[in-house]
Amino acid sequence: MAKDPVCGKEIDEAQARAQTSQTVHGASEVDPQQGTRIFHDGSWIYFCGLECRTRFLASPATYTSD
Amino acid sequence: MDFGYTPEQETLRREVQEFIAEHVTDDVLGELETAEEGGRGVHYRELIRKVAERQWIGISWPKEYGGQGGSRIEQYIVEEEFARLGIAVGGAGSGAPAILAAGTEEQKRHFIPGLISGEIIFALGFTEPQAGADLAGLQCRAVRDGDEYVINGQKMYTSAAHYATHIYLMARTDPDAPRHRGISIFLVPMDAPGITVRPLWTIQSDPPAPIGTTYGMARTNETFFEDVRVPASMMLGEENSGWYVGAMGLNLDRVGASRYLISVRRDEDIVNWVKENDFGGHSPADDPAVRDKLAELWTEAQVCRLMTMRSMSLVERGGNFTYEGSAEKVWAPEHGVHTTETITQILGPYAQLLSSSEEAIENGLFAHNVMGAFQSGINHGSVQVMRDQMARRGLGMPRG
Repeated sequence: MAKDPVCGKEIDEAQARAQTSQTVHGASEVDPQQGTRIFHDGSWIYFCGLECRTRFLASPATYTSD
Repeated sequence: MDFGYTPEQETLRREVQEFIAEHVTDDVLGELETAEEGGRGVHYRELIRKVAERQWIGISWPKEYGGQGGSRIEQYIVEEEFARLGIAVGGAGSGAPAILAAGTEEQKRHFIPGLISGEIIFALGFTEPQAGADLAGLQCRAVRDGDEYVINGQKMYTSAAHYATHIYLMARTDPDAPRHRGISIFLVPMDAPGITVRPLWTIQSDPPAPIGTTYGMARTNETFFEDVRVPASMMLGEENSGWYVGAMGLNLDRVGASRYLISVRRDEDIVNWVKENDFGGHSPADDPAVRDKLAELWTEAQVCRLMTMRSMSLVERGGNFTYEGSAEKVWAPEHGVHTTETITQILGPYAQLLSSSEEAIENGLFAHNVMGAFQSGINHGSVQVMRDQMARRGLGMPRG
């Protein structure tokens, strides 16, 4: 499980990435209710949704420092 | 200087109108209301095949790649008539002009005929969550590995991703170079392993926006790339030249009927509505305030049209085309917003009734337009970015 760095909610990475269907031309589609993510400094960070990701992007250092 | 059409061009317009009356059936219009294939179902594809038979797609594109080698203004006439119904005939978007300008011979022969026939559809993969107006801040990475590039990252507002065959993707290939000089463009098949599409539903999805709504896209997406491998031959232009290739394509895509009509279609609609409706012997067309506002909109719309014609003339003559498209991209969307405000004033509370209301005017077209018009000044290059380009390229000011 991953942890949303903004709200602290646990995110199941496998569920967030799991294919639920395919687009007309063969790309995987996922369930938007399972969260989203961002490729940041070479790795994926998971979020419960766009709001938390937006907060993160406004100030990544706030959420990535120890 | 004559801005009118020649008799031959007027004949072409009538032919297109007659074709549309015969072939754009309720089945085609019904498909346009669906979001799943971007409205491009079996009836739509059959329509495009017939349009291609008439040699009306890619009129100004080179014959060797499936075009007609004709004039840009004739292409504009055809595009305008179809765009009034929300139908883009062939190669809409910035990918095709970028390929024609910067692509290899192999890329041109593969992609351009497919874009003309509708068999190839691009999703635009430029914007990222943290890189929209500041596009040069994009972080999607492409790393060379032998004859391939490996792509990791994500794109935002990839509105065609759920029905596109390819994504026209901007990625960073040199993270150590100055921001604008370390970017490349790739033409990536959507079925490449590692691509994931996450749907995002817009304010136009529920209730659904009626056909013809400006920026009426019910669905957009974010698209993720995890170790996606693409052959190096699918890079468009030279490595690290993607910023300039992409900007050139975007500029050329700002010229033409679709972009023009996005901002002025509602002008025509509200004028028709005002003239056609009567409330107990009182027509809004008799109201001096309404007449004044509509005349003001008409004047602004003429500026949109003249800017469009000038840009097409520049393109036709192979002229240097840079800030002129930016000026259009400022004037036209801001006019569209002004039109929306005016319609809201004329219709009053009826301008708030969406398609789900039985009392909505024109099936809620104007109300859905209120929700969508404002984004036209943001997407495809915000008006603020466009003004900065005009200051630098048109007025010779330094980069801020």
